[in-house]
Amino acid sequence: MQSKEEILEQLYELVRPYTKEPIELGEETGLINEVGLDSVKVMELMTAIEDHFDISVPLNILPNVQTIGDFAEQLQLLLKDS
Amino acid sequence: MVLEATKTENNLPLRAADFPNLAAALDYAALGRTGSNFYNSRGELYAVLTYTELREQALTLAQRLRSLEPERGARLAIVADTQPDFLRFFFACQYAGLVPVPLPIPHNPGSHKSYVAQIRAMMRGCQASLAMAPAGYSDLLSEATEGLGLAFVGTPDAYDDLPERAYELQPMQADELAYLQYTSGSTRFPRGVMITQRAVLSNLAGIITEGLDVRTTDRCVSWLPFYHDMGLVGMVLAPLASQLTVDYLGTREFAMRPRQWLTLMSRNKATISFSPPFGFELCNRRLREGEAETFDLSAWRVAGVGAETIRPRALFDFAEALAPSGFDRKAFLACYGMAECSLAVSFAPLDGGLSVDQVDADHLALHHHARPLLVDTVGERLSEFVNCGVPLSEFEVEIRDDRGNVVPERHIGVIYVRAPSVMSGYFNEPGITAETLSPDGWLDTGDIGYRVGDSILITGRNKDLIIINGRNIWPQDLEQLAEQLPDVRPGDALAFAVPDTDGTDLALMVVQYREKDVDKRAELIRRLQGVIHAEVGVDCHIELAPLHTLPRTSSGKLSRSKARQNYIDTHLMNQVVSQKEKESATAALLQKQAG
Repeated sequence: MQSKEEILEQLYELVRPYTKEPIELGEETGLINEVGLDSVKVMELMTAIEDHFDISVPLNILPNVQTIGDFAEQLQLLLKDS
Repeated sequence: MVLEATKTENNLPLRAADFPNLAAALDYAALGRTGSNFYNSRGELYAVLTYTELREQALTLAQRLRSLEPERGARLAIVADTQPDFLRFFFACQYAGLVPVPLPIPHNPGSHKSYVAQIRAMMRGCQASLAMAPAGYSDLLSEATEGLGLAFVGTPDAYDDLPERAYELQPMQADELAYLQYTSGSTRFPRGVMITQRAVLSNLAGIITEGLDVRTTDRCVSWLPFYHDMGLVGMVLAPLASQLTVDYLGTREFAMRPRQWLTLMSRNKATISFSPPFGFELCNRRLREGEAETFDLSAWRVAGVGAETIRPRALFDFAEALAPSGFDRKAFLACYGMAECSLAVSFAPLDGGLSVDQVDADHLALHHHARPLLVDTVGERLSEFVNCGVPLSEFEVEIRDDRGNVVPERHIGVIYVRAPSVMSGYFNEPGITAETLSPDGWLDTGDIGYRVGDSILITGRNKDLIIINGRNIWPQDLEQLAEQLPDVRPGDALAFAVPDTDGTDLALMVVQYREKDVDKRAELIRRLQGVIHAEVGVDCHIELAPLHTLPRTSSGKLSRSKARQNYIDTHLMNQVVSQKEKESATAALLQKQAG
């Protein structure tokens, strides 16, 4: 099983292409207000994540995902089940 | 068990929505072998629901709903994910004498709070008695209904555990409501459009016969949300009322993998599909080198385009990129409509493609008159509008000036329509209804346009709505977010749409701000954009203005339209026009090459 840290490292790589300005990515980085994802970009990122981890991410987790750390936690749960 | 999608050809003569109510439309479709098919993001078929099965399941569920003894006409709110359960609940309402109210699903990360507030406002607005959400959204629904006193809130499973009794079901009749349609996600101003059975069936008949000339060989594909008028009326009810098979792809599955839309169209030789312009753009953007020829879009005869201002350029790009797939640009079908008219007002002629009217931009701005641009004039500025076709025969249309007089051909005015398809009003909002709908049945569409012959062309809106990627954004919601910041007071913010360089809406907000310090000003803008991103999920351009500079109307109210005009006059006009000129020139060139 992958640790949260391992997942985080992969997430940073997946999120980095979407940052508008070079910002430091961390667990607390907000996907919307800091990375600056709009609704189309969110979906692109979801696709990249699904392809990378080879899982299906249910849309209903999104409302509770504010930060990259939140996302890592959700992914850890999904990866455990898959 | 291997699932098999329902066939295209039916074993039943086509009937075009000549039914007294939606229940009767399903009763008839259930005699055939068509239905709906649901696909996941990898394009795999995961559920098949024939109209026969849908009817049986809806009748059973209707009995279970009656066991709760709701009043006739009580509202059942449905979190409308693209799943078979939505159809089952929607039609159970038709048989049980209830009014379904489709609710949106949340798209944005971190939107928990704003989403709960949004659907709570809708359910409070329509005084819902019952509510349903698929399992994944049930926590959000429970939170949103807390304290609202609903009789029953639950997942499809919870409803299926209700006792089934043999009640005598009385389907909704012609004068009763078919559904309530929320036209915007606004938490402060939710507006539930009331559509009767008679209204929607009248519109469906027009769509099926005059608009699309539906044949038994047609097959639809749709990724449009079920809580959107084009998704619900256009791609659920119209196929059902003409007994067509539909292949559904979830909206988010489309957004993640837009090319799945084209894969489905190809695989099933589908003939009809609709999208706002941005759907075509998104597909085109994601298309890979050499991929177009792997699709077979030669059967696609109606590529309907609506729901937002149509920018021909992006659609021509799509057609060009997909020409190797056999996509015919003549399949583009511009249409005009709104939830307040059930769905459709007008369609361009079939097999005609997009017809673009080029007019003199200066003359238009000065005289509100769309003077055609002569081909050989040089140096004149150009505006282009897409012809949205002749209104369905049930519609009377008038274009009126600001004194209410009907204007002649090619003169700009507000579009008013009257037809059996028009709504009965906004639920529980007599004030807003009276402002929109006259006692003799004329609806003020809020859209601005002109006529050429009997065809209508839309040039803009006078209502305040901002439309981004097909989503309706109410400026009041953006302003409220600004006013929640400690350094912005009520009345300090005005939001409105301005044309972006590509002709789409750009959300813009002018905020009065006392602070002179450059860093503090930049910080406020960042903070505000962050909160708008998080809550509404759109980019918003912020302009700071000195105190007491926002324009007001003669009665002292803040004026969005004046602020918008000021902004366009001072900032954007030159830039927009020069960009438009370039685009039009290319589009004209493309048309010439094509013709």
